[in-house]
Amino acid sequence: MVWWKVGEVSKANATAQAQAQAQPTSANKRGGSQVSSSEDARRAEQDRRDRRLVKRIRDGDEGAFQELVSTYQNRIYGLCYRFLGDREEAEDVAQDVFLTVFRAIGSYRGEGRFFTWLYRIASNNCKNRIKYLKGRHHGRRLEIEKSAQAQMPSREGGATHSLQSQVPGPEAVVTGNRLQRAIQEEIANLDPDHRLLIVLRDIQGLSYQDIMKVTGLQAGTLKSRLHRARVALKKRMEKHMR
Amino acid sequence: MVDPSDSQAAELMSAALDEALDANDAAAFEAMMQADEDAQAEFAGLRDMLKLVKELPEVEAPPDFYENVARKIRRRKLLSGEFWLLVSLPFQVLSVLVVLAIAVIYMMVQLDRDPAAKLERERAPVVDSDHP
Repeated sequence: MVWWKVGEVSKANATAQAQAQAQPTSANKRGGSQVSSSEDARRAEQDRRDRRLVKRIRDGDEGAFQELVSTYQNRIYGLCYRFLGDREEAEDVAQDVFLTVFRAIGSYRGEGRFFTWLYRIASNNCKNRIKYLKGRHHGRRLEIEKSAQAQMPSREGGATHSLQSQVPGPEAVVTGNRLQRAIQEEIANLDPDHRLLIVLRDIQGLSYQDIMKVTGLQAGTLKSRLHRARVALKKRMEKHMR
Repeated sequence: MVDPSDSQAAELMSAALDEALDANDAAAFEAMMQADEDAQAEFAGLRDMLKLVKELPEVEAPPDFYENVARKIRRRKLLSGEFWLLVSLPFQVLSVLVVLAIAVIYMMVQLDRDPAAKLERERAPVVDSDHP
């Protein structure tokens, strides 16, 4: 296969993508320390798979890089989108994250989980983008999904699966979508450090341990800062929940 | 309401919302809840809000995401020194060959113009051993 031959997503990649899509949903619903043994086994398998992929990428296997991108693209794009609140910026930053991974994979020492290394790069890129946009006096182009768009395939065909669609009745759907827009807007108004913790813990469902590795915070600091972030978000959300 | 500066209470509240309390912390949390009605209200409010946050729709990357990453990598490679080195290599070789060719032509021309060298060549006799 030629390096960077586009448009060829192998069967293995499609499977990997499906697995990656399934991960956040299951992770979201679990508490930090209540990790079942099946969850442990899944994490261990994911780590083994990541290590194999990293080794293959270092050996110059372009298919492995494609597989890695397919595995993590939704999670990284989701993180960037929830952090920045803008699809175009999120896509650009998420692409930069994988570009950084491609260039820096040689310096990855294999200590800790690859997944947390990737998330650290993503969160740093998001923070840097916010600083850059602020520096350019960039008017906040917060893209709030319109009610209809939330139920339809997004710009390039990528879908957003609304949980509100499971609630019967059009009124419930409208209310749900309004709240979703409000939440996204208010998350984007939080302090970047608070925003990151809310996205990592409450939206992406990372465990405390993983968040500590991504952010470099101690357990106590993480919990109290997370509480402050949640209180700040709740305060902002009160006007929408009345 | 839990004082945000009270880090222990904040930690307990976070852990409780994430269902991550161990036995000791669970007891401390229960005691805190029983002693403070504001804390109870805050906990309930946070739990409701988190339920909404967790119900945010999952977002998928665009289908051409990998193609765009690959394109970006190619573009960066084009801009990097590695690419320009490869492009310029044939020109470097060509320029060396041109310089060498010019030097050879110059030397031949100079040799033709030099009268001493001409004389040397004309004077050189053909030695015939049978007819001295």
